[in-house]
Amino acid sequence: MAAAGQLNVIDSPSRGSRSVDCFEKLEQIGEGTYGQVYMAKEIETGEIVALKKIRMDNEREGFPITAIREIKILKKLHHENVIKLKEIVTSPGPEKDDQGRPDGNKYKGGIYMVFDYMDHDLTGLADRPGMRFTVPQIKCYMRQLLTGLHYCHVNQVLHRDIKGSNLLIDNEGNLKLADFGLARSFSNEHNANLTNRVITLWYRPPELLLGTTRYGPAVDMWSVGCIFAELLHGKPIFPGKDEPEQLNKIFELCGAPDEVNWPGVQKTPWYNQFKPTRPMKRRLREVFRHFDRHALELLEKMLTLDPAQRISAKDALDAEYFWTDPLPCDPKSLPKYESSHEFQTKKKRQQQRQNEENAKRLKMQHPQQHTRLPPIQQGGHHAQMRQGPSHPSHGSQPAVAAGPSHHYGKPRPSGGPGRYPPGGNPSGGYNHPNRGGQGGGAGYGSGTYPPQGRGAPYGSGAMPAGPGGGPRGGGGSGYGVGGPNYPQGGPPHGGSAAGRGSNMMGGNRNQQYGWQQ
Amino acid sequence: MLTASEYSNHSRQNQPVTGPAELNLPRVLWILSSTLEKLVSRNEKLVDELNQELDKLNNGSVRLGKSLNLFHGVRAPGISIPKYLERIYKYTNCSPSCFVVGYVYIDMLTHKHPDSLVLSLNVHRLLVTSVMVASKMLDDEHYNNAVYARVGGVSNAELNKLELELLFLLDFKVMVCPRVFESYCLHLEKEMLVNGTGLKIERILSPKSFETEISVEDQQSSSPPPIVDYGLT
Repeated sequence: MAAAGQLNVIDSPSRGSRSVDCFEKLEQIGEGTYGQVYMAKEIETGEIVALKKIRMDNEREGFPITAIREIKILKKLHHENVIKLKEIVTSPGPEKDDQGRPDGNKYKGGIYMVFDYMDHDLTGLADRPGMRFTVPQIKCYMRQLLTGLHYCHVNQVLHRDIKGSNLLIDNEGNLKLADFGLARSFSNEHNANLTNRVITLWYRPPELLLGTTRYGPAVDMWSVGCIFAELLHGKPIFPGKDEPEQLNKIFELCGAPDEVNWPGVQKTPWYNQFKPTRPMKRRLREVFRHFDRHALELLEKMLTLDPAQRISAKDALDAEYFWTDPLPCDPKSLPKYESSHEFQTKKKRQQQRQNEENAKRLKMQHPQQHTRLPPIQQGGHHAQMRQGPSHPSHGSQPAVAAGPSHHYGKPRPSGGPGRYPPGGNPSGGYNHPNRGGQGGGAGYGSGTYPPQGRGAPYGSGAMPAGPGGGPRGGGGSGYGVGGPNYPQGGPPHGGSAAGRGSNMMGGNRNQQYGWQQ
Repeated sequence: MLTASEYSNHSRQNQPVTGPAELNLPRVLWILSSTLEKLVSRNEKLVDELNQELDKLNNGSVRLGKSLNLFHGVRAPGISIPKYLERIYKYTNCSPSCFVVGYVYIDMLTHKHPDSLVLSLNVHRLLVTSVMVASKMLDDEHYNNAVYARVGGVSNAELNKLELELLFLLDFKVMVCPRVFESYCLHLEKEMLVNGTGLKIERILSPKSFETEISVEDQQSSSPPPIVDYGLT
């Protein structure tokens, strides 16, 4: 007797996986590196999921290695802050070709990864007009990010593409790492040669930009530092348009590397090519002097040039920042942001097209678009409100319902992710996470950041370049919705808070901040 | 004695195979060939006996190894297992450890699906598919499916199908940790000892010329000779 799921007719795969027909596709919500992402409903249960279609149109390559990697890694990782791969489903596809022969393209696009549905991603959420995160909210997201990443690192997985659009957030306030298409296992003993063409340019650490091929978890921590700074600052801090500019932006803020602050830096493959021509001092503290003291302290440790001295996820979780008032809030206490999945695809596409056109027209007249806002400071003791369209910083922040923020809520322009316009800045819909033009060339030279707002868009197709090196479409990532499906309570490696008391989730203590309700 | 580190040489060019100087093929090929040949002949015998039993019962013949149906050819290819492995190694330039990991996949397959039997009808397809997937996992630079199809004597479309089948049969658990890798190396070595053929390893082989390797830049023109003669298609 064949085992369950193997009772298949000859020539049909005996894989016992369910068919995609078990799901009803509702709408396309994203375009990933290797396929489209759909929001779908499981017919039997009514559960909303995300279906990530694995593109298999390159016959010569076979099953994409990125997909194999992502699947095998996600099958290994089970944590509340890592997207959960629920199952893999297949669609029969075109059964036979004209001659009745089994079609070579039979499996073309016929494989889907099923994830829990997530309402937002961090970039999409942050890019909502008028959105500003509170300090407890930022702490909450950061801690979840670090907890998930720590879990990955303990399990010897490097994510290698940490960025806002790969951090998915549901309406329960849970943050999950997604898109493990670039991830890989590392082993401490085998100091293998790894490719340095990973991580979206803006979040890529200096060691990779300098050509290192032996690296470890520290690469992810640099990206975390970039995101942290971005959350506090209100916009990306290193928006380089190519590798040299990226390094330069890093050196301008973090100082030039030398054998003192980074022993061995001169031995990195591309050091001579990229070494700074003039002395540059570290100006992080100066530029971000308005940040909270503990935040700055932690950021300093994350944006450390020397990967060997950069803080680990585990140590970052122990940083004072997470243990001083205002404490990270409970994810569940976060405001629920309206996501856009009720909209019908057509209606939305239409609307989006219109928006894009409007935005284009608008952009021509006013290059200034809505801008990201720095967080609401609590209690006003480190106030120093920043310039820019300001928001009254009340202690309360009602759920914002102004328009859909769903980062994946609309199909991306095929040229690339909206964040990195392929040129000419298309698709700058009001709610589109198009920030490619921000901060271009602003640098840190003036000592203070320029007023918030979009810098002049890059004039030309300033797409960070390089095969595999340029920012990837963050859109088609993994998804997952609210924790109920997760083995809450006992993630094997969630215990980074050991020794810090039991107030991990903020609990009642947060109530006093009353920033919500 | 063979060690795991010998197998795990990923770049064989700068790390010549250990052993006598005239040996250019990694020993794992021979160990694996011998192990698989033994396995196949044992399984074939089993099937024969079973069929004879069934004949007595007037029940016709059985088709064993249903879970590996997709890998079954119509008839056994004319190329021997050692030659086939040698061919894969020669033309795909995969690292020797891919053969160990490929064997791990096949072994996992048979354990996961008790209904599967490695037979002369399916062993070639199993090998080319599993070594290819292993190479995808292990080697940062590896040939695409099209090249493996040519080397393996199957069509690109079929190999893609087999790849998918293998991945699903393995439930995508294609990561082999160093510990498992090491234990399979030991297992393979033991097979050789039990077989009493431990010495044989050292006597075989003509020097392998590296010039015959195809280059990454020019896959099309320097593709390996067709294998159709072997009757695998």
